[in-house]
Amino acid sequence: MLRAQRASGGLPGQRQWRGGCTREQRGARRASMSGAGLEKPQLIAHLQQALSYTAFQALWVPRSARFLCLGSLPRGAGIIQLYELQSGRLSLLRQIEKPKPIKCGTFGASSLQQRYLATGDFGGNLNIWNLEAPEIPIYSVKGHKEIINSIDGIGGLGIGEGAPEIVTGSRDGTVKVWDPRQKDTPVANMEPVQGESKRDCWTVVFGNAYNQEERVVCAGYDNGDIKLFDLKTMSLRWETNIKNGVCSVEFDRKDINMNKLVATSLEGKFHVFDMRTQHPTKGFASVSEKAHKSTMWQVRHLPQNRDVFMTSGGAGNLHLWKYEYPAQRSKKDSEGVEMGVAGSVNLLQNVTLSTQPISSLDWSPDKRGLCVCTAFDQTVRVLIVTKLNKI
Amino acid sequence: MSDQPMPSMLDQGLTKTYQIPIGHLDYKFIEKCTDVKHLEKILKILRSGEEGYYPDLTLFCEKRIECLAPGSRALRKDKPAATAADFTTEEWEEINGEIKSWMTEMQEDYKIQLPKTQILHERLDNLPPVRGSDSCVPIGQNQGSGNKQRKKNVPRDYREWDKFDVEKECSKIDECYEENNSKSRLLTNSSGPKIETTIDITGMSQRERFFIANREKEKGNEAFATGDYKEAVTYYARSISVLPTAAAYNNKAQAEIKLKDWHSALQDCEKVLDMEPDNLKALMRHATANKYLQNYQAAIEDLTEVLYVEPENALAKKNLLEMEQKLKDIKPVSKTHTKRQRILIQDIENSNGEEECERGSGDKKTGVLVQEEIATEKSEMGNVQKKFTSKGDGCRSDDKETQNQREHTESGAKNGRSENRTSKHLPDQEAEVNGYLNNDKKKSGNSNIKEENPRSCGTVSSSSGKNISTLLPTTAAKLKSEGNELFKNGQFGDAVLKYSEAIESAVNLGVQNPHDLSILYSNRAACYLKEGNCSDCIQDCNRALELQPFSLKPLLRRAMAYESMERYQQAYVDFKTVLQIDSGIQAANDSVNRITKTLIDQYGPSWREKLSPIPVVPVSAQQHRWNGTFTSESKQKSVTDVSGDRQLQINSEKTEERFRILKTEGNELVKKGKYNEALIKYNECMKLNSQESTVYTNRALCHLKLCKYEEAKQDCDRVLQIEDTNIKAFYRRALAYKGLQNYQASVDDLRKVLCIDPNVAEAKKELEEITQFLNPNHNVTASSQQKQRKKIKIHEVTESNKQESQVSTSEDAMINHIPVEGGAEKCVPLKRSEKLLISEPSTAYDFGQSINAVNARKDKAACADLLMIINPPKLPMLLSNKLDGDTFLIFIQALECYILGKDPGLVYQHLFYLSKAERFKVRAYLLFNFPL
Repeated sequence: MLRAQRASGGLPGQRQWRGGCTREQRGARRASMSGAGLEKPQLIAHLQQALSYTAFQALWVPRSARFLCLGSLPRGAGIIQLYELQSGRLSLLRQIEKPKPIKCGTFGASSLQQRYLATGDFGGNLNIWNLEAPEIPIYSVKGHKEIINSIDGIGGLGIGEGAPEIVTGSRDGTVKVWDPRQKDTPVANMEPVQGESKRDCWTVVFGNAYNQEERVVCAGYDNGDIKLFDLKTMSLRWETNIKNGVCSVEFDRKDINMNKLVATSLEGKFHVFDMRTQHPTKGFASVSEKAHKSTMWQVRHLPQNRDVFMTSGGAGNLHLWKYEYPAQRSKKDSEGVEMGVAGSVNLLQNVTLSTQPISSLDWSPDKRGLCVCTAFDQTVRVLIVTKLNKI
Repeated sequence: MSDQPMPSMLDQGLTKTYQIPIGHLDYKFIEKCTDVKHLEKILKILRSGEEGYYPDLTLFCEKRIECLAPGSRALRKDKPAATAADFTTEEWEEINGEIKSWMTEMQEDYKIQLPKTQILHERLDNLPPVRGSDSCVPIGQNQGSGNKQRKKNVPRDYREWDKFDVEKECSKIDECYEENNSKSRLLTNSSGPKIETTIDITGMSQRERFFIANREKEKGNEAFATGDYKEAVTYYARSISVLPTAAAYNNKAQAEIKLKDWHSALQDCEKVLDMEPDNLKALMRHATANKYLQNYQAAIEDLTEVLYVEPENALAKKNLLEMEQKLKDIKPVSKTHTKRQRILIQDIENSNGEEECERGSGDKKTGVLVQEEIATEKSEMGNVQKKFTSKGDGCRSDDKETQNQREHTESGAKNGRSENRTSKHLPDQEAEVNGYLNNDKKKSGNSNIKEENPRSCGTVSSSSGKNISTLLPTTAAKLKSEGNELFKNGQFGDAVLKYSEAIESAVNLGVQNPHDLSILYSNRAACYLKEGNCSDCIQDCNRALELQPFSLKPLLRRAMAYESMERYQQAYVDFKTVLQIDSGIQAANDSVNRITKTLIDQYGPSWREKLSPIPVVPVSAQQHRWNGTFTSESKQKSVTDVSGDRQLQINSEKTEERFRILKTEGNELVKKGKYNEALIKYNECMKLNSQESTVYTNRALCHLKLCKYEEAKQDCDRVLQIEDTNIKAFYRRALAYKGLQNYQASVDDLRKVLCIDPNVAEAKKELEEITQFLNPNHNVTASSQQKQRKKIKIHEVTESNKQESQVSTSEDAMINHIPVEGGAEKCVPLKRSEKLLISEPSTAYDFGQSINAVNARKDKAACADLLMIINPPKLPMLLSNKLDGDTFLIFIQALECYILGKDPGLVYQHLFYLSKAERFKVRAYLLFNFPL
């Protein structure tokens, strides 16, 4: 109770008043809260575990109650930890150390049966590991000159049609697409021309993989650029600038005809683009929303409902949002060209978990409402979000 | 404190941050203020505490803002994560329990999922080529410019991107985007390559398929929520292609309703209802589709069924009224027609009318659907018998095999339909007969047509909805009757001409009613068939079926035509469809047998794979639905019904056939309540084929009924190993666990049942019941357990009663356990008394139930057994005020015949305590004084 007050910013005076409330009042308050709980989703901090290193990313192992924490040990080595949810606690099943700190990872290009992990590290290396035998990588390439900030995979896990591919975005300004079947060289490379200033690529994702041919990569840069590369036509399909560094972009689903894209930014804003209708000049319609004053580190869509997503904030807070479509998703402009219409965003719930930024977040693909997040307070937390099926 | 905010401070000036008069920080002002921005500022001041802390005022201000602008950002507060305190105990337990069960499930799952390299390699081989090696071809095609092709693998830079004429590029991309869109739509609409090729299920485990099917379904749901119904249908179809589930079909039906694709919606609903006969949503959707297809009668049937399960369903009530109104509107018009036509028909034939119109025989009050149908059956039987006695002899001489005759007599008792065969050979006899049976060898050609008349009449009078002007234009009608006449006389060629004219004039006059046209086509098809012009026959049948899907005669004729063209696969499919519509058509049964053999000879044991899928017939098109003698299995797969025994001898070498027969027999035995015998049959089945899960589920049912819970559980386990989403197995295992008093496991299984399909009412009921047992407050004493067990029994009895009606109201092709269990209905009393022998009734209600059962069967022995286990002093309590004459008599008889010899003391005691029962005196008076 006390801690709750403190966390909610209570001050001595306030505490006095709170302390004065009777048992009945408290009961009533609880009743009203649980009444609210009936309608609204609630975020429960189910389990947490202090770590002895800085975790950059946590991600679920598909079809399991296990997740990985990727990070950097104080002495500058990389670490992968495998945790399993067991009744009431987290148990560390495995710990793998690697020479370079590991920034990011994905299972997206691996089959459900293999579940090979692809990682990007501080040295710019892309590695694919078999977690059963992690001594030597199955695939390894020095893909970038500098740190790989972001990685995404597609074509595995039954998500996305077509070949398995991995995309990496690095501080060296390049975005490269890899096929695990092709050694050493990327299958596609998007980089600025010589002499042009290299922007730090902070985030990359795949999307639009609804059949064998279609596929796009979306990348966000430190200067606020968002670029959409079409891999089918090998062209830049669309770009925009949201003024502040793009911390995270994500399609609501990777394996459908592009529907929505969410981009979060450095100053605490996020933009939702309706990707169904592209206007020749205006591009995609978007709506933006400001959640708080701190950086929005990450956005992750609920795998079971593409219109619900969670953003993680620099002030240790999580916000759960829902996108509401407009009555008509497209309209004709004055010249009769189709253009998109953006919807609106509703805040479903928000919580503050920590004073430090929450650096990553991952929804369990298998259990609706279960997610794991890492924060710079060196803690990994498993959260349960309730009532997501009733939204 | 709310009254305190220091009056002295009011009106003292402005606040520091927003320069708002201090006076505004006041209840009254806030209450009246409607300016949200202003209020937000006030709230900020209050929160900042620069003017002091007023928690209640702050709260008040928040509430005011919330009331004015619920989405206001000012209301967003930092909140800690929710804890147990924010939930009720039940909610909290539910949340934790859910996570826990998921965790255990996942842990088990993890162990199972070991890499299967073999399959993986196969799947890897199917992958598209590495981009940049082969993929340059599509790029070249799409962009049409060589230099891009060359550059493709070279690193690209922004300047290069910039060089593009953006607008041109964009429009180009748009074009190709749209093209792609339309292409993908097209692909999916043609039901084809995208769905089948993209979701390649080779090498996927059950779990994976379940997982992927679920994902695709979710995608469908999302698309549906967005209003993208086409996309939704596509994704549902994909989901179904991986793993057919009732939910996916149901959702697909809903999306199709939105797209106004009534026929597909109807079909999908049928599929759901096959899987879950009492799925209310599906029934409602079925009704909606029927409504728009103007099958009001069918819609009414659906709605009645909904109301049967859920009498309070307001929507269903409303729709039902609407439907009935519509029917009424149509009625008066059609009635007059009907009368006129009936006379006409009666000239030609007098008996058939009922048969054809049973589907919607004029009676509007479908509330008593079942009775109605039974009534129809009766009358039909009556007809048949008449025919039989009068003319039955004549037919023997024909080319029918003796076997058929025997069958006919056998089955004749069962369902009157087969008699038709007999009569068809009589030259003067009516038509419909040969609709079923005219194999090429049979000559009685004349008949086909006449039946059409009663039929159209039947539909006119009944099914109503079609059209107000159901009748053909007079010219067409005249031509048609002439054609009928010619057909009767065997002048098929001329009949064809007449029918063609009739069709032409009908089409020219713009007859909208598909039904009449369909009949004309169907008649012409009959002529063609007679002439041996099979291909034209098939064409006409196709047209007829297009107009009137799942009508019996065109299907049959097409089947026969296919058969004579030796296109056995199509013929088989059509015959099977016919049998779905009416299982009693002997000719179809025989043909199916015959064709099965041919197909096996042709393709070997895997002949089934060569077949195209057999369409599922909508409930409304099915006849003989009350005739619940077919279990799902026998219905779907077996070719044997009445002639099972003979088939057994003939085909004894063919294990598959034998397997099926054994299973059917087992099912029959289950229906008769002979579980032990059924067990033996099933055991034999398993020797032949140990992979067939239905046998296990059926055997599990037997075990359950025999209270061998452990065995039942093992069987279910086996099934679940083979097929881990078998809902029936889960349900039965739950019952077994319950019997074993392992309530936790039982609850888990029931949850899984509900997880697979949340609409299984029985499972819900069981779950509630068992959760009660699990409740810690419940002290598990022996007596209470006994009570529970009995409760279950009662529950099952009611369940099967319900099923009985389901069997009769819903289609008989139900796939799941219902028919099998429903089959047990006949032996309910027997089962009950048998079980009662095992356990002593502890309440008056239980006792009453057993006594009713005993009374119903006049089973003195059972009564005696019952009395043996009852403690005499409890008798008055158990009887309470329910002592009636029958009970009294049977008690006395039982005591006299069975117990007196064994234990006279007990008899005395019983009689003594019987005299203490509440209504003994009245009863004795009535029984002994009154009659004397």
